[in-house]
Amino acid sequence: MKIFKLKQKTQSIKMDALDGGEELESGSFEKKNNFATKTLLLVGKYWVFVFFILLLTGFSTAKGFLSLNNFQAVLANNAMLLVLAIGQTFVIITGGIDLSTGWVMGLASVVASIIMRQFPIESNLALVIFCGFSTAVVVGLIAGAVNGMVISQLKVPPFIATLGMYGIARGFGYILSGGPPVSVNHPGIGHFANGYLIYIHPSVGFSLFTLPEGLTGMDLRQTTTLIPFLIIYFVIILVVSHWLLSKARFGQHVYAVGGNIRAALRAGIPVNSILKKVYILSGIMAGIAGFLYVMRYSGGVAAAGDALNLNSVAAVVVGGASLMGGEGTLIGTLIGTLIIAFIQNGLIIVGVDPFYQYVAVGVIIIIAVLIDQLKKQVVK
Amino acid sequence: MKARLMIISILLVVFSLLVAGCQPAAENTEGVKSPEDLTIALVYGIQGDAFYITMEKGARARAEELGVQFIADGPSKWDPAVQTPIIDAMLAKGIDALIAVPNDPQAMIAPLQRAYESGIPVLTTDQYIGDGDYDNGSVTFPLSVIASNNFEGGKIACEALIDEIGGEGMIYILTSTANVPSDIARRDGCIAAIDAVEGVTLAGVDYTESSAPIATTQTQAMLEKEPDLDAIFGANLFSAQGAAAAIKSAGLEGVVKIASFDAPEQAIVDLRNNVIDMVIAQQPALIGELAVQYAYDALMGNTDGIPAQVNTPFVVITRENVDTEEAQNAIYKSE
Repeated sequence: MKIFKLKQKTQSIKMDALDGGEELESGSFEKKNNFATKTLLLVGKYWVFVFFILLLTGFSTAKGFLSLNNFQAVLANNAMLLVLAIGQTFVIITGGIDLSTGWVMGLASVVASIIMRQFPIESNLALVIFCGFSTAVVVGLIAGAVNGMVISQLKVPPFIATLGMYGIARGFGYILSGGPPVSVNHPGIGHFANGYLIYIHPSVGFSLFTLPEGLTGMDLRQTTTLIPFLIIYFVIILVVSHWLLSKARFGQHVYAVGGNIRAALRAGIPVNSILKKVYILSGIMAGIAGFLYVMRYSGGVAAAGDALNLNSVAAVVVGGASLMGGEGTLIGTLIGTLIIAFIQNGLIIVGVDPFYQYVAVGVIIIIAVLIDQLKKQVVK
Repeated sequence: MKARLMIISILLVVFSLLVAGCQPAAENTEGVKSPEDLTIALVYGIQGDAFYITMEKGARARAEELGVQFIADGPSKWDPAVQTPIIDAMLAKGIDALIAVPNDPQAMIAPLQRAYESGIPVLTTDQYIGDGDYDNGSVTFPLSVIASNNFEGGKIACEALIDEIGGEGMIYILTSTANVPSDIARRDGCIAAIDAVEGVTLAGVDYTESSAPIATTQTQAMLEKEPDLDAIFGANLFSAQGAAAAIKSAGLEGVVKIASFDAPEQAIVDLRNNVIDMVIAQQPALIGELAVQYAYDALMGNTDGIPAQVNTPFVVITRENVDTEEAQNAIYKSE
């Protein structure tokens, strides 16, 4: 139990955590009725939405930013980051962190690619995709299970345990691939991550799933495309996860463990099992993200998720989750991810030097944590 | 007549005896071993990189031709602190010549100097130490640096792209990070090519951190900003792959041309699948061959013919020439 001592100090929520996560989220501080406090709390809760709107407004003057095309593309481009961030949200709500997620994603992409390569080029595409997908999910599941076991049974702090997995997944990723990307060459596979549901062309009409035939050159620039496949996958994952976190008993337990682990124990919540499941979930999400990478870039590579690894933590924190645990929502994570995504997107469209993106994202992470702490002080 | 003939034949015999007998004797006095006793070592840049694997292959093939022993090793990560003990271990084994891909232009001077001072010729490939000028620069003990000129490579890549888009249009550059000198040189070479042609403009430069998803995000944003973008130069494979995904998603496959620097097998697969349109290959095998040849020459005492700097040429691989021998030889083999 040693490792949980630190958390107790930061508890602002006491036994009411027993009643489940919903209460932690919203209305547990009504005792303080004065108007200023209430306003501050509201700002604390919704600033990220306000900031998101302000950000979009700020960039809206740039040509091309406020377009359906741009919005759906930004969503699709960040599907992998969003999937990683969903897993990360569960982990962070329990008061933990998963630093291995990006490299587990890479390892899953490599193993899935190796398996998919075993199938001859002319094999049934559905079978190849199914095998690749299952492989990636199993790899993520195993990595997550190891994380969960080490953290819940052996009481290794999550930061260290997942840092260890970071190294292990990275190492195996490079060992299995030898370094260079492992390519998957089945024709048509890339379409499932790069294609759209609907294609519309002013003269040819519209078609589902693939481009209308016979379009070349300048005609292609005229085509309107709607609903990238990646968004469909992502929305399904988001909806299921959102239900799991906010409606299912599992989600309530996750909040309870993160809110006050002692109280959770006393209430008979299987804390160890919840912790284990949370890291397994994060591993599975990393596996799915790895598989999406394989489909999008026709192959896996050990470093596939390197650049997304810490961004997934940033997205969750900007989205209002507390690193101390007990707080956070998937809608917040979605907005957090989109803030990071639109900063990258908007600054390029405006034409700002690329290095400012790093500064901008860094400043916003710090603001997010500051607001989180202010909120706690106000509550006290 | 007879006397003359005899004198001539005696002279011939003496001369041939001289030729046959004295040469090895002369060599032995210089302490030079016969080829099969010589060991040339290659300490490459990082393990598991197709570029260095191919360099090692080229070097090994030439060593076999020359009949010398060849060993190779390299660090697991790009770090002079990891590479130095490998070089020291090579020296302890009693190698006769060292070819190194120094992990740092400054930090690797001392370890290579130790090798040089132990009396063996030192060459560097792909990277250099000091300022790279082994004739008059800050470090002059290495015999030669054999590498591709990345500035030239970037220029060649973008000249080929400019050709492809018909001499006018807009080009976007994606490079890995701002602190890798070779990638920066490629970027600058490309910009030089763009500046040289009126009617071709630079859409922008972005840094992809060698991450395909980031390159996709950047390319997609650039397409919003510049819907008439004509071509993209990816200074490494991941940049080009990421750009290709954004182009595919925008339904502009084949409309926006993409060039990728470096030629691992995945790049060739992408080229054949119309994902990218050209691959600019360095010639790591040639670099390895030349390095072993020069090391051998130096051991044989022929240092005159060794230039202090060799810029190996590039090969531009397209779908049209990908099956030619020249293109196939330039592809980096990962095993």
